[in-house]
Amino acid sequence: MRTIIYGHFTDDSDLLGAVKILQEKGIHIADVRTPFPVHGLDAVLKLRRSHLPKVAFIAGVIGAVLMFSFQYWVFTEGWPLIFGGKPYSSILSFIPGTFEITVLFAAFAMGIAFLVRSNLGPGSIPDILDEEVTNDHFQIILSAKDNTLSETELAEALEATGALDVKQVNTKK
Amino acid sequence: MQVSQVREPLINGEKSYENITADVMAPVRAKPGKLWFFGFGISALVMLGGFAAIAYTIWFGIGTWGVNRTIGWGWGITNFVWWVGIGHAGTFISAILLLFRQKWRTSINRAAEAMTIFAVMCAGLFPLIHMGRLPLGFFILPYPNTRELWVNFNSPLLWDVFAITAYLLVSLLFWYMGLIPDLGTIRDRMKTLWKKKVYNFLSFGWKGSARHWHRHESMSLVLAGLAAPLVLSVHTIVSFDFATSVIPGWHTTIFPPYFVSGAVFSGFAMVLTLMIVTRRALNLQEYITVGHVESMNKVIIATGSIVGIAYITELFMAWYSGVEYERYAFINRAMGPYAWAYWIMMTCNVISPQLLWIKKLRRNLTFTFILSIFINIGMWFERFVIVVTSLHRDYLPSSWSMYKPTWVEVAIFMGTFGLFFTLFFLFIRVFPVIALAEVKSVAKSSARKFIRKSSKNQKPEKE
Amino acid sequence: MSEENKYWHILEEFEPIKDERLPKGREEVTSPTSRRNFLKVLGLGTASAAFIASCKRPAEKAIPYFIKPEEITPGKAAYYASSYFNQNEFCNVLVKVRDNRPIKLETNPKSVVTPKGTSGRVQASVLDVYNVNRYQHPQKSGETIDWETADGEIVSQLRQLANEGQPVLLLTPTIISPTTKKLIGNFAETFGAEWQQYDAIPMDGFREANQRTFGVNALPEYRFDKADCIVSVGCDFLGTWLSPVEFSGQYAKRRDLHNSDSQLNKHFQIEAGMSLTGSNADVRIRAERSDYGRILAYLYNQLAAKKGAPAIAVPTPPQEITPKLDEVLDDLTANEGKSLVVCGDNNPDYQVIVNGINQLLGNIENTIQFERTYNHFRGSEKSLETLLSSSPGAVIIWDVNPVYNHPESEKIKAAIEKAPLSVAISALPDETTELCQYVLPSPGYLECWDDAEYKTGVVSILQPTLHKLFDARQAQESLLAWMGNESSWLDTIKNNWASTYFPQQNEQSDTERFWVETLKKGELVLDAPSVTIASNPDEIGNSLNNINTENQAEGFTIELVENVNIGTGHGPLNPWLQEVPDPVTRIAWDNYASISPAVARQEGIKNGDVIQLGNLTIPAFVQPGQADKTISIAVGYGRVNGIPEELITGVNAFPLAKAENGFRQFAVSGFSITKTGGFEQMALVQGHQSMEGRPIVRESTYDKWKEDPASGNEMHEEIKHHHTTLYKEHEYKGHKWGMAIDLNKCTGCSACVLACNTENNIPVVGKKEVRRAHEMHWIRIDRYYNGDEENPEVVRQPVMCQHCDNAPCENVCPVAATNHSSEGLNQMAYNRCIGTRYCNNNCPYKVRRFNWMDYTGADAIPNNRYDPANLTMDLSRMRHNPDVTVRAKGVIEKCSFCVQRIQEKKLTAKNEGRQLEDGELQPACQQACPSDAIVFGDMNDPNSKVSKMMKDPRNYHLLEELHTLPSVGYLSKIRNKS
Repeated sequence: MRTIIYGHFTDDSDLLGAVKILQEKGIHIADVRTPFPVHGLDAVLKLRRSHLPKVAFIAGVIGAVLMFSFQYWVFTEGWPLIFGGKPYSSILSFIPGTFEITVLFAAFAMGIAFLVRSNLGPGSIPDILDEEVTNDHFQIILSAKDNTLSETELAEALEATGALDVKQVNTKK
Repeated sequence: MQVSQVREPLINGEKSYENITADVMAPVRAKPGKLWFFGFGISALVMLGGFAAIAYTIWFGIGTWGVNRTIGWGWGITNFVWWVGIGHAGTFISAILLLFRQKWRTSINRAAEAMTIFAVMCAGLFPLIHMGRLPLGFFILPYPNTRELWVNFNSPLLWDVFAITAYLLVSLLFWYMGLIPDLGTIRDRMKTLWKKKVYNFLSFGWKGSARHWHRHESMSLVLAGLAAPLVLSVHTIVSFDFATSVIPGWHTTIFPPYFVSGAVFSGFAMVLTLMIVTRRALNLQEYITVGHVESMNKVIIATGSIVGIAYITELFMAWYSGVEYERYAFINRAMGPYAWAYWIMMTCNVISPQLLWIKKLRRNLTFTFILSIFINIGMWFERFVIVVTSLHRDYLPSSWSMYKPTWVEVAIFMGTFGLFFTLFFLFIRVFPVIALAEVKSVAKSSARKFIRKSSKNQKPEKE
Repeated sequence: MSEENKYWHILEEFEPIKDERLPKGREEVTSPTSRRNFLKVLGLGTASAAFIASCKRPAEKAIPYFIKPEEITPGKAAYYASSYFNQNEFCNVLVKVRDNRPIKLETNPKSVVTPKGTSGRVQASVLDVYNVNRYQHPQKSGETIDWETADGEIVSQLRQLANEGQPVLLLTPTIISPTTKKLIGNFAETFGAEWQQYDAIPMDGFREANQRTFGVNALPEYRFDKADCIVSVGCDFLGTWLSPVEFSGQYAKRRDLHNSDSQLNKHFQIEAGMSLTGSNADVRIRAERSDYGRILAYLYNQLAAKKGAPAIAVPTPPQEITPKLDEVLDDLTANEGKSLVVCGDNNPDYQVIVNGINQLLGNIENTIQFERTYNHFRGSEKSLETLLSSSPGAVIIWDVNPVYNHPESEKIKAAIEKAPLSVAISALPDETTELCQYVLPSPGYLECWDDAEYKTGVVSILQPTLHKLFDARQAQESLLAWMGNESSWLDTIKNNWASTYFPQQNEQSDTERFWVETLKKGELVLDAPSVTIASNPDEIGNSLNNINTENQAEGFTIELVENVNIGTGHGPLNPWLQEVPDPVTRIAWDNYASISPAVARQEGIKNGDVIQLGNLTIPAFVQPGQADKTISIAVGYGRVNGIPEELITGVNAFPLAKAENGFRQFAVSGFSITKTGGFEQMALVQGHQSMEGRPIVRESTYDKWKEDPASGNEMHEEIKHHHTTLYKEHEYKGHKWGMAIDLNKCTGCSACVLACNTENNIPVVGKKEVRRAHEMHWIRIDRYYNGDEENPEVVRQPVMCQHCDNAPCENVCPVAATNHSSEGLNQMAYNRCIGTRYCNNNCPYKVRRFNWMDYTGADAIPNNRYDPANLTMDLSRMRHNPDVTVRAKGVIEKCSFCVQRIQEKKLTAKNEGRQLEDGELQPACQQACPSDAIVFGDMNDPNSKVSKMMKDPRNYHLLEELHTLPSVGYLSKIRNKS
């Protein structure tokens, strides 16, 4: 059982301004929702750099090693065959396959990681407070729980930044 | 705010974020018109015809095609290479142009990527159906089996299998990840519940949270970084099918760059062909502007010229190599029984794109449209020339022969067009043709006139 | 009898198969008869057939298969010595019998007549045994009857006619079986019958000429191996004349250059149409067909002048060839007693002159010998006189087809129809049998007992290797039956041998033993009789006069020739033979009018344009080297009756032949060409005739070779130097198989192609598919022209899979269906192949073949069979070699160096605990090659013939500059131009 206060702006620059003001007031912002990635917002919100690239890199390396060693094994151990007078381990031939699998692994590992991390995915039901957020509303969400101020104070603070129809709801979690 | 007049705006007309949403979503919301049903019906029919021809081939054998003891590959592989080429624009635009921070990509990348995926699907068909024993096609997969028999990793054809699969999947991923936010937008615009549910399912429950956007962006960037070399690798590997062989006219080290640029060349041409129609049909002229067309034409000049240089280099090398077989192969291309194909290729691919140096033509939609079709024809003939004329007169004159397709091959090729457009027609109905979020993100900086709604204490007017 | 009933049972079920045939040829042929069933029944019979091959057991008492007869080990082939004789073509063979079915014919190396190789026709003949169109029971005017009734009715009528004194005519092909001759003699006596032997293409002119000049009515032995200089005037002795298999062997001996002291012969060919022999000649002189007489006369007169013999002035042949003829004369006089002049024309006057020339050169008794004369070609114009003039009361026609191949076809037809009794004894329906009241099926030669004296004093035995498939009866058995003779035909033969040949030998003391031993050898050689040769010079004078009075031919002259594979077109028109392209024109499935390029240009005719010659409508073919005024057309086509629709092809040219003063002439003048405007696409396998100056076939001349054996092949060494490799080459321990082909010996006869077909179950795809370049042959014989189109030089090259060590095909197969064996074989795993055809594209030699459609019936998908020649029915399938997979639709196939033979021989050697001997294992092509041009063996064995040949300076590899390292080597062609 927690209380949420939210309001929205119809322009990204207003949003950025508002966020700054709230932060100066030392108000913790629960979430900001926008129709598109607002330039500079993550800086203001001080979001940590994402780990996804690392995931991609590791997956890629795994893919590469697997594919290469598989091909090598097939040609030297699995069933060595003579093809066009080439040696059993004709390493040059293994490069294309290895490359493709590397990319494939990296890309999908990252994609999946992204979805899992942001618990998005088929069937996940979002808590949408304002449908216009995916159109032209830039929404700030404050939570009473992680703020010292009371609900009303928070609402006022939000109003003060010029946020439109500030509302207050109670949600579970 | 006004954009600097130095750079031409990417969005014409007066737009607010809301307008953009409305404009782009219009086709998805509106009931499909007669024209749509007509187009869809035709393409579906042609597609079915193609499938019938494929069934016929599988039943009675490749003998129903025109290929023979000397020319083992005919239209089948020609079409394969051609379609793969077409499938290069999309990922090129969204990946490489993203890396180069080209803002103009935003209004075309979505459609281009869709096109890529459909084209690659069509391409993928051909290596399968040109097999003598399609029911056993799964042999090309390195799956563990009781015979402990694996595949031959030396074979460029096997590399193709990996390349095409990887390319298709990664493109799909890239495309869909980009779609998620826009699907969210559609969900929230939908009135009926079931549609909401469907689109919510498709949008993976997107809610536009800043954190998600943050991750989404860094993912897109890395994906682009991965996709870029992938795009280049695909046609490189396809070119290996020929480059690694011993057949004069195939055995050429210049092939990888030559094929890749050729692919981008034809890909962009196809994007233009489609876009010039689509922007009209879905009236998105303000988003896909003459400016976009021009910048794509520039890419076409660049790649087209590379292709031209490649052709000339080939000729030079054939002479310079002093190998009589090589020399003959190229003399035969230009003067042999298939010379007509060679000269169609030359005119369409080398001469015609050079006209785009003229700014007037570059910005002329009708001209561009016609030219783009010329280029597509030219590029198809490039593949035909490479596949057929190299084979039909190779080393031993005793085996020389001629090739002409049967109705079955023609029907199959037509069928792939059917498939392509069927999918495209469906696409423009259910998905936004333009990357909403991305366009919005550049709207301020590059719309001719951006309507800023002041948030100051008055309710914004709802429609 | 039980198995008898079973046979009937089966036969009934064969009927629908024949009817179900679709003209389009694409249809599944279904039959309730399971193959297993058929084999089982067959097994019963055949087991016994093989059994009696060596003991007295009568055929009727069949032993069930589950009691194993000694001879037969399932899965192991047994070989029986026998002989092939059909329409004047003879060959000693070993019949390969696998699980009771003859499946292949092999050379009988012990034979005196044909110790090396067979002809293509012999190889293909095994297919005829399993021909679905064979008569399967006796018929009376179309109605099936049983033998008893047939015999009863025929005999009574014969007796009646005999009493009435009406002539009874027995018309047979040339009979070389001594026992049969005796039998027929008795028969003729009993019924007062007249016996005539009939040949489609008679050689009575030759016999006549020899009668006149030498006083012997015989065809002498021609010793091409003894001739240093051969002059042939329109005589295709390597292809179709007299005894080609034998001659090819002799000829090849003199083209052999493996040891430095070997003496290359010199071969002049003077001819109008490009023949197989002509295309092999060192010097080919292009002359009009109508000038042959004058040319011979000129040669004779010039020689006579030199020798001071009487000469009679005869109009000289055209100016442009006389100087060439003088060269010929110089060579002839330089090789007196070691030269040989032959002419292919049946005109006795020509032959007399030829005899004269050979006499002047002292070739008689040297290169032409009369000891072991040939016994075939007994037919003459007289054979049909009775039939044509006095209408006979009864005609018994035994396996000849005059209605098809005699110019007087219509009259013969009438005569047969008019005769009160007409009986046809034949295995297959044809134009003649269709007219007869009674049709008595006779079995194929692999189901028969017989003997044969092809060359005087060399007698061979034919033994059955298969129980009679149908309710058929040998003609001899019929004759016996009609004469009321109880003894079996086999006994008759044995008795005859006991009485005639047993006394003439001293090795065996017991007649039975003698019989069995000869049966094993297949041949009995008696000492040659000595013949005294008369000499009547004035005959030459007469002949010269006749030639002198020859009126000059006007218009075009049509010469009728035999196609190497089709011959006279007798029998079932074997689909294998039909599909093998003609070695000169490279056209399959058709005959055509060969016209010279010059004529083609002036008449505006292109290949395939249909032209009208007299009342003959036929597509034209532009043949380089063709004489301008001569048009060559192959006989043996245009058969209509008793063959499947797809095999009805070409036009019948026999009606053009005509008798001239009692001798059949196959060259007729006075024709003009008119274009009909029609066009027929021919099944042309090789469209491009020039080598484009590429070093594909390397050749040089004899003189150059003597100075430098590597002449013409210099680049071989040079290319070797350029070879560099990124990877080090594989080592092949144990065996490393290789093949060397001597281009100087290969005549292009195509026997190898047919042997390969038989051995490897290669499907027949039919005319339509060959037109689309879908032919399936694993070995082909490329033919290139060089020089002017007027009279080009011809080179040939048999090309099969080169089994490259750096095989381009292996790299590109995505599923590893083709790869390299540890013995250097490029092997195909048909089951693994998915048919991408990438290997085929990447093969520089284009030797890989793809199963474009379901040619064999091995495909999993139903109702998609494409089998124009009906070779996928239960019966015809029994020809298959069980050691070779029958390939399904959609897979690539190619030459395997007969890997099944390699494995078999390796196993035998292993079981006997010894090394393989060189030459012990021979692929089918080498086995069948009459000129010994193909040599196969282990290249790791330095003493093997093949590795010696590979070291020969003449040896090179095809497209070796590609560094594919083929296992096949070619030895350059050397022409004798000195």
